Amino acid sequence: MTTIEPILEGRRSQPDQLIEVLQDVQKICGYIPQDAMKTVARELGVPLMEVYRVANFYKAFTLKPRGKNVITICTGTACHVRGSDLLIDQVKGQLNIEPGDTTKDGLITVECVNCLGACALAPIVVQNESYLDHMSPAKLRKIIDHAKGKKKKEASDAQVQS
Amino acid sequence: MIQTVTLTIDGVPVKAAKGASVLDAALEVGICIPHLCHVPFLQDTGACRICIVENVKNGSSRVTTSCTLTVQEGMNIQTNSEKIRKLRRNLAELLVAQAPNSKAIQDIAVRCGVKEVRYPFRNENCVQCGRCVRYCTEMWKANALGFVGRGKNRRVEFPFATRPDFCKNCGSCTLYCPMSITPCGGPMKRGEEHLCGKCESQAVTAPNIIGACTRCELGKGFSCTRHML
Ligand code: SF4
Ligand code: SF4
Ligand code: FES
Ligand code: FES
Repeated sequence: MTTIEPILEGRRSQPDQLIEVLQDVQKICGYIPQDAMKTVARELGVPLMEVYRVANFYKAFTLKPRGKNVITICTGTACHVRGSDLLIDQVKGQLNIEPGDTTKDGLITVECVNCLGACALAPIVVQNESYLDHMSPAKLRKIIDHAKGKKKKEASDAQVQS
Repeated sequence: MIQTVTLTIDGVPVKAAKGASVLDAALEVGICIPHLCHVPFLQDTGACRICIVENVKNGSSRVTTSCTLTVQEGMNIQTNSEKIRKLRRNLAELLVAQAPNSKAIQDIAVRCGVKEVRYPFRNENCVQCGRCVRYCTEMWKANALGFVGRGKNRRVEFPFATRPDFCKNCGSCTLYCPMSITPCGGPMKRGEEHLCGKCESQAVTAPNIIGACTRCELGKGFSCTRHML
């Protein structure tokens, strides 16, 4: 793995750097590849099992490659009460994937989180880094269409409105 | 010279090595505290909770796991009070509901006086006692197994869910797993789970022997560590 070499620079044989290193791997690769875990284990002197366990434990780390667009649906209490399950149904129906999965073309990943701390604006959806408030299945459909590159104009109009 | 402390277990004064656990001290003198996740010479984590005892201090008592409780001078431990028996029975009931296909766990249920299972059977193949993980990590230093995931997704797994080349194929993980021996009647299918009771003869004597270790045959099933030493 040449790409993660710079991350390891100056951190070799320092087991306590594990989480920081994994965070950087996540940032650079978009996920934590198996080979990277093996390299990190070897270079930091942490058992592979421990690297795998830590990478599995934190939500901030993903073990599967993610799509270009990451759509995160909040399923916290407030968002749930205001119908986040409808948003999930919308995603399932439209993309034919379960939360946590990525579409075959690698364009969209759908994830769920528990509360983003913006409950007053529920239900919340995060598209990549931007927060979208008061979501409805119809709005979400347009966003997904847009992300898929279909009906570009229509969808962007919708986004301006919302 | 080994330094010792004196404590009272079930009213009996007991001498134990400093730093020993209450569970070890009790087993040493033949007081039976049912236990599952404890394995001699491994770090105790208090995962199964079966070994609970009452630690009486100044007239009030705290319930805690004896395997993780270090002996102290003048401690007063109750291993078999009404309260403990009731709590332990409930814990055993939960365990057997989780994994009825383990002879060890069926035996523990009998030993702890479970008569019926009021919880829905889950029929899982792991109770997360961590014996396999600790044996692999501490004894063999192989680190080939570990717990991954959180909450209800927590499970024992190899790295990337495949046996790694540094697994020493020692077989200890299976040997020490309470799930590795099925009840005498064979594995129970989903929907057919029940409290085994095949060892009814032992079940009859179980209430009578609670408290004293008689090196019972049941012990072999419930992985009683007296049979390992
Ligand atoms: S067989 Fe492999 S995984 Fe099991 S205890 Fe031995 S080294 Fe660990
Ligand atoms: S696999 Fe067996 S030994 Fe390992 S945690 Fe599960 S029940 Fe315990
Ligand atoms: S529940 Fe969704 S932001 Fe709090
Ligand atoms: S919690 Fe003590 S033996 Fe399992």
